[in-house]
Amino acid sequence: MSHLFEHNGAEGKGYSQPAPVLPSSSIALPPSLARKNLPRWPRLSEPEMVRHYTWMSKRNFGIDTGFYPLGSCTMKHNPRVNEVIAQIPGIADIHPHQPEHHIQGLLAIFHEMQYMLEVCSGMDQVTLQPVAGAQGEFTAVRCVQEYFRLRGETQRTKVIVPDSAHGTNPASAAMCGFEIVEIPSRVDGRIDLDALRAVADETTAVMMITNPNTLGLFEADIVEASAIVHDVGGQMYYDGANFNAILGITSPGLMGFDAVHFNLHKTFSQPHGGGGPGSGPIGVKSHLAEFLPGPLVKKRPPVGNESQMVIDDMWYGWYQPTHSIGKVQQWHGNAGAVIRCWAYYRRYGRGLRTMSEHAVLNANYLRHAIHKAAKEAGVDSMVRDGAEAKVAKHEFTLSLQPAKEMHGISAMDVAKGLLDKGYMAPTVYFPLVVPECMMVEPTETESKDTLDTFATHFAEVLQVDAETLHAAPITTPVRRVDEVYAARNLCLRHEYDDE
Amino acid sequence: MLAAMGMSSIEDLFEDIPAEVRMTGDLPLPPPQSEEEILADARRLLGANVAMGERVSFLGAGLYRNYVPASVFQLVTRGEFLTAYTPYQPEVSQGMLQAMWEFQTLISELVGLPVANLSLYDGSTAAAEALTCAVRVHNRKATEKDTVYVSELTPPDRLSVMHNYCQGAEINIKFLRHHADGTLDLESVSEAAGSCGVYIEQPNPLGILDGGLSQIKDIIGEHTALIVAVQPVSLGLVEAPGQYGADIVVGEGQPLGSPVTGGGPIYGIFACSKTYLRLMPGRIVGRSIDVDGKVAYCLTLSTREQHIRRHRATSNICTNETLIALMGAMHMALLGPEGLQALAVRNMTACLLAKQKLGEIEQIHLPHSNSHHFNEFVIELPGSSEDCLAHLDTVGIIGGFDLSAWYPERKNWLLATFTDQTSEKQIELLAAHLAVWATSQGVNA
Repeated sequence: MSHLFEHNGAEGKGYSQPAPVLPSSSIALPPSLARKNLPRWPRLSEPEMVRHYTWMSKRNFGIDTGFYPLGSCTMKHNPRVNEVIAQIPGIADIHPHQPEHHIQGLLAIFHEMQYMLEVCSGMDQVTLQPVAGAQGEFTAVRCVQEYFRLRGETQRTKVIVPDSAHGTNPASAAMCGFEIVEIPSRVDGRIDLDALRAVADETTAVMMITNPNTLGLFEADIVEASAIVHDVGGQMYYDGANFNAILGITSPGLMGFDAVHFNLHKTFSQPHGGGGPGSGPIGVKSHLAEFLPGPLVKKRPPVGNESQMVIDDMWYGWYQPTHSIGKVQQWHGNAGAVIRCWAYYRRYGRGLRTMSEHAVLNANYLRHAIHKAAKEAGVDSMVRDGAEAKVAKHEFTLSLQPAKEMHGISAMDVAKGLLDKGYMAPTVYFPLVVPECMMVEPTETESKDTLDTFATHFAEVLQVDAETLHAAPITTPVRRVDEVYAARNLCLRHEYDDE
Repeated sequence: MLAAMGMSSIEDLFEDIPAEVRMTGDLPLPPPQSEEEILADARRLLGANVAMGERVSFLGAGLYRNYVPASVFQLVTRGEFLTAYTPYQPEVSQGMLQAMWEFQTLISELVGLPVANLSLYDGSTAAAEALTCAVRVHNRKATEKDTVYVSELTPPDRLSVMHNYCQGAEINIKFLRHHADGTLDLESVSEAAGSCGVYIEQPNPLGILDGGLSQIKDIIGEHTALIVAVQPVSLGLVEAPGQYGADIVVGEGQPLGSPVTGGGPIYGIFACSKTYLRLMPGRIVGRSIDVDGKVAYCLTLSTREQHIRRHRATSNICTNETLIALMGAMHMALLGPEGLQALAVRNMTACLLAKQKLGEIEQIHLPHSNSHHFNEFVIELPGSSEDCLAHLDTVGIIGGFDLSAWYPERKNWLLATFTDQTSEKQIELLAAHLAVWATSQGVNA
């Protein structure tokens, strides 16, 4: 199949440009500055370019293509009105250095988002600056680090994470310079309080944990865990990747957390775009608020001629926290993502709880339906729950360990079999604590019909013989890709023949 | 659905959440809205903002208002791209994987280095990750360990990101000096030889294209990384840093493919030589084969990344800016080499014309008029930039960037930007109003 660099049509007329304001001959760069050879980019007409990308889009699977139960990623529907809103010039054509009186509407939305996230999380102050969940983690841990430095508690060099944590947790804490202490989970996948007590001491800076945890289970001992960490003077950090399960039902603040990040793209449906963009605001309790990256948005009554420029009787302005760690992105974060997520939240408003209720209902129903379908098909012995639990939250884990032992069918084989049924596969081999793990998250935007059909297809895949499944997928644009070959024969760009 | 599970109430699904952490009462938020109501509110609120296109704008300073062709927006909203996630299942993600492999090639060709990742968050995080990457690669042989040198002109907001990313690894950031004419002091570069890396921008934050950069690599040698941050459109005319020895090239990708969007989402460029490949941050796509031997693409070198290596990862980055990078790739594909050059010419000639017209105004001074500029330059005013911008605002002009925000002692320095969107008329309008304001300053003085 063709790639971009095999196109080489007429000279560079993909789109026509107006003439420059002066002839190009007026440019006289010396040899030390002038480019000698232009980049060897392809030359495409607009129809060639449009066909190329349209062809590639047809070789890609998105939520719009089909059910996308990718655990931990919250792949809910992306309402299209949000895209329309993001194209309004009052966001698309705004420069972050414009003065406050040019962007009152944008700041009002920022303020509303800060407030919404504060009341949903039980935190006192939110910043919207971090642009991804991992950056939110990094930012929050940096704030805690500066908080301890200011208090002279420099002996706090350790960050505790459960072994079921997302990989970003230890990576973010390590980037801040902390030593990582990993504690084992209990056999039921939940936090082991004794293991936590054994490592928590005066060198503990932060414990990072997500609740519900990465197995989709609510950590009922979370208040006790917070108390253990607080008793030794440490801080509790909430990884908001699984926030979709608890909105309006409980909050990190009620659980005793001091800081939290939100994956706006997950919980509030910024399209994931094949890997990004995201948005990763953080919220903190008041003792950490003055360490946040600035600027934050604050509102106050207008003074002087500001009253002629207000949009809702209040003036929105930037505020620089006193002990701010500085910036983590050069501008004001992913403002365009924040706008889309504002539009998603407005759809629910004070009823955000129903969003989480439906997400949890769908997850539990799908878990039930998969076991039921497997039983009816006589393949229930091949799959078991990743962890024993009466109810899961917004996602759940399955273990294909029995299938592996009985027939040599791995979680990856089942995943590839599901691709042949027209689905995106669930997350596989995460969390690491569940053998042959498959992590399933349907989200609230799927219908019962979709869930029932998926369950039936899942059971059908389990009925397929091992040899056929090892060869799956067969209906996809390419078949199983050789990742070892890719790593051993590195080809990271197109090479021209003359090289 | 509840009945099928033997449950009677939605509450049964939350019985595992203890009462002591239950939220009581409704969230203090407005009632739910319909699509039409949300759209109306969005139009009211965002419509109250002043979009740059409604005014005559000369504001750049790192983000640039270039025209993005219509087909880019049409194609990038195709649901197969828009609503996908990280291509963990390559068999059903060939479209995005191939598009990103092509993006890597386009960037590689643009900057003159063999390897590019498929984006970091923005120019500042790309620059910061370049510094930590340089230390990982060079610290063993460096005579000045854990140290990098950064241009003293680096915008404070970008420098702040660098500090945040570097402090955990206990990296010292020292500074490279500049001459009064805005060019780099090559003697200060020689002090950086033996450190892990040197960071410099081309064009620099004052808009100056500095021919001296071509000498840096000879001064610092092979054991110190030369990191150059670029404005990608300028590379249609200005030499690719890979050609003068850059080891890592970073930059704000935004001018290629993306509107300014309040500063995000945009995308950070990160390219490097093969020396840095295994210690670089971010996702990389490799070309491979499937079981039938057919060409197929997949993520590769993942053992550098957090989901495999956890706290030993080269970076914590997971979600990146793939979709915006895709917009960049589409724009580059439409431009082609000559189109890129034409776009660069439009920027640079607008800047040249502005230099001529503004240079004729007696009361203002262009302190770096002898230097080459790509699309912005410094104007020294007879009064404060703050006052000048406020005045221009009253006549519908966004006059540029007040450089005292970066360099507090430069109260009278204004950075004015001229892009492919700048017309001769707009430049004349700016010149006329600047002259009027500058004269009034003279009278007041």
